[in-house]
Amino acid sequence: MNKLMVIIKREYAQVVKKKSFLVGIFLLPIFMIIVTILPAMLANKKVASVQDIAIIDLDGRQLGERFAEKIKRYKLEDSSQTYNITNIYEIDKSDSAGYVEALSRLDSAIQRNKLKSYLVLFDSIVENDSCVMVAKSFSFRTSDRFNWAITRILTEERLKNSDVNVGVDSILNLTHRTVFTQLAPGEKQRDFLTMYLAGIIFVFVIFGTVIGYGQILMRSVIEEKNSRIIEVMVSSVSSFQLMAGKIIGLGLASLTQVAIWMVIGLGIYQFKGNLSIDADISNILFNPVLILFFLVFLVLGYLLYSTLFALIGSLVNSDKEAQGFIFPITLTVMLPTILAMYIVQEPESTIATVLSLIPFMTPTMMVIRLNIIGPDSFSLANPIVLQSIIGAILTFLTFLGVVWFTSKIFRIGILMYGKRPTLPEIIRWMRHK
Amino acid sequence: MEEYLKLNNIRKVYDGKVAVDDLTLSVPRGAIYGIIGPNGAGKTTTIRMIMDIIAPDSGEVMIEGGAPGKDFKNIVGYLPEERGLHKKMTLEEVIVFFGELKGASRSKIMGEIDSWLEKMSLSEYRNRKVEELSKGMQQKLQFVTTVIHKPKLIILDELFSGLDPINIELIKNILLEEKRKGTTILFSTHVMEQAEKLCDYICLINKGQKVLDGKLADIKARFGTDSIQVEMEGDGAFAKDIPGVESVDEFNNYIELKLGDGADTQLILKQLSEKVRISRFEIVEPSLYNIFISVAKIDPDEIPAEGALNE
Repeated sequence: MNKLMVIIKREYAQVVKKKSFLVGIFLLPIFMIIVTILPAMLANKKVASVQDIAIIDLDGRQLGERFAEKIKRYKLEDSSQTYNITNIYEIDKSDSAGYVEALSRLDSAIQRNKLKSYLVLFDSIVENDSCVMVAKSFSFRTSDRFNWAITRILTEERLKNSDVNVGVDSILNLTHRTVFTQLAPGEKQRDFLTMYLAGIIFVFVIFGTVIGYGQILMRSVIEEKNSRIIEVMVSSVSSFQLMAGKIIGLGLASLTQVAIWMVIGLGIYQFKGNLSIDADISNILFNPVLILFFLVFLVLGYLLYSTLFALIGSLVNSDKEAQGFIFPITLTVMLPTILAMYIVQEPESTIATVLSLIPFMTPTMMVIRLNIIGPDSFSLANPIVLQSIIGAILTFLTFLGVVWFTSKIFRIGILMYGKRPTLPEIIRWMRHK
Repeated sequence: MEEYLKLNNIRKVYDGKVAVDDLTLSVPRGAIYGIIGPNGAGKTTTIRMIMDIIAPDSGEVMIEGGAPGKDFKNIVGYLPEERGLHKKMTLEEVIVFFGELKGASRSKIMGEIDSWLEKMSLSEYRNRKVEELSKGMQQKLQFVTTVIHKPKLIILDELFSGLDPINIELIKNILLEEKRKGTTILFSTHVMEQAEKLCDYICLINKGQKVLDGKLADIKARFGTDSIQVEMEGDGAFAKDIPGVESVDEFNNYIELKLGDGADTQLILKQLSEKVRISRFEIVEPSLYNIFISVAKIDPDEIPAEGALNE
């Protein structure tokens, strides 16, 4: 049997036979659900209990009453009102003692959790929008509702005070707030959050594979180095065969894992009708062109980074020593998730283009950008598609360079025990014939 | 005897320090050859150069008169000084893995594996993981992984380190058996007493340089002065007057006679027995240790005491 195959077989079997492999298959999807879908679900969750609200009205035009009236329309699931107005303090603007007293009473009520929040409508609110909301914490939903209610009341007041000769109600109807739908070219409905989440899912799969399997590879080198097995290995095969065997063997193991995820995904796809999956998500996750690009970038990312991990393994004597080297790698792979919010909004910006063409970031950055393209517009005319192909080629060339560089250091590093080599030493190894 | 492995003036320098200095040696086919010297003498570096793990700065390694061919890695079995195997693999997996790595087919390995495990008393652990074995068992297992592919040349670095006396005996017998089959065996050790019992040929090295090499018996004949140990009843002081005896060392319950050139041991025995009752009369060969000390002119404190097993 080919010796390279012998090593590939061993590395593959060592990972796939482990219990942690099975755990990993389920762990990453669960992890992804936790970091992506859960926060979104929590943010969209309806307020569960009645919130006690108070109002201090210094204006004297019963605006507080009208506000209370407006927010009565918000109901909980049991159809009770979401907001319960406990008190409306109508205080004359000259009564500063009364105002201070009301403030301190409401503040202490909030501190004792007797009150969720209170509003202060100042005396010149109609003229200069002066009002504040006081609370320990603010939810987006409540803030948005209160904001809308106040805006509406103030608009009514201003219209009444103006000389417009049309009925106030009809003007309000004409000027009501519009919610618009976001569409991609070709009238495909796109949703920002979905694009963002789908991109993050792809990045996490690549990130998990690259870092996870890269570290398995690194530990495998360290183990063989520490136990001196490596000496027997390199007296049986070349150090290049050893390195290649490890990279390929573990790469096949990681592809096995991804293949299982895809089978699970396809299984879900079969039942997508029953599960009422968002059309957006299925357009992204079950788009063959995107999946193809994803696989290309997964493989390229793995090859590039696992070679680096092999390099680290050959240089160090323990996991602990390796940590200093791993950190920059983790950061580079992770960076796109930090920048994802921006990239999803500006996929064709110069920053996104430049970053995604840096080979070490290409795999994850490009996948996020590819996500933005509508499934029907995958053609070479699309700059992102073209850049993805260029990026893939650049990444592959970089990988070849890293392999050349690593193989020079690897064969010497694996036989160096004890102390970690210094940079000048490593450079000397490179020149070694 | 036909030469199998030859080192021609190999030299290796690490950071300005000469590890192996123009070493030349010749290993005959089918011999047991010992490279012997104190720690740091350059034994491991020499073996790594033979194994092509590191390249010599100058000089060459030759097999059967030529540069090692592509199949050299497959016909050699190598046991490094510090031992280790993949802990999470089973014994069978480890043996098959290293066998296949040396180009042996799985079926061939499976045909051999039973008898080897049997020989090493490891049969019952066949499907256990390596990490479940004791240190001594792991050593035996690693020896099996070294020879499972039937190498023509077995190279063992610090063969005896980490082995208990029973296992040393076991491995020795296996090596003698391999030698009878025509396998060439090269090993290094700093334990001279063990080397003495096993080797046909030796090379003594110190500080990277060869001190002396050749057939063990020839070396002993050349450098050794034989001595005689005698246990007897009565005072043996008169023995120094016997012709051929150069000096007498008296010990607690025996005396040791150093012999001069051409001394006749039978004549000495006869003369002794006329005066005292002898309970033991033994001709003692010079030990390799003593030869090494005298030839290398080194401080005996630098090397472990005679008979020391491990560091």
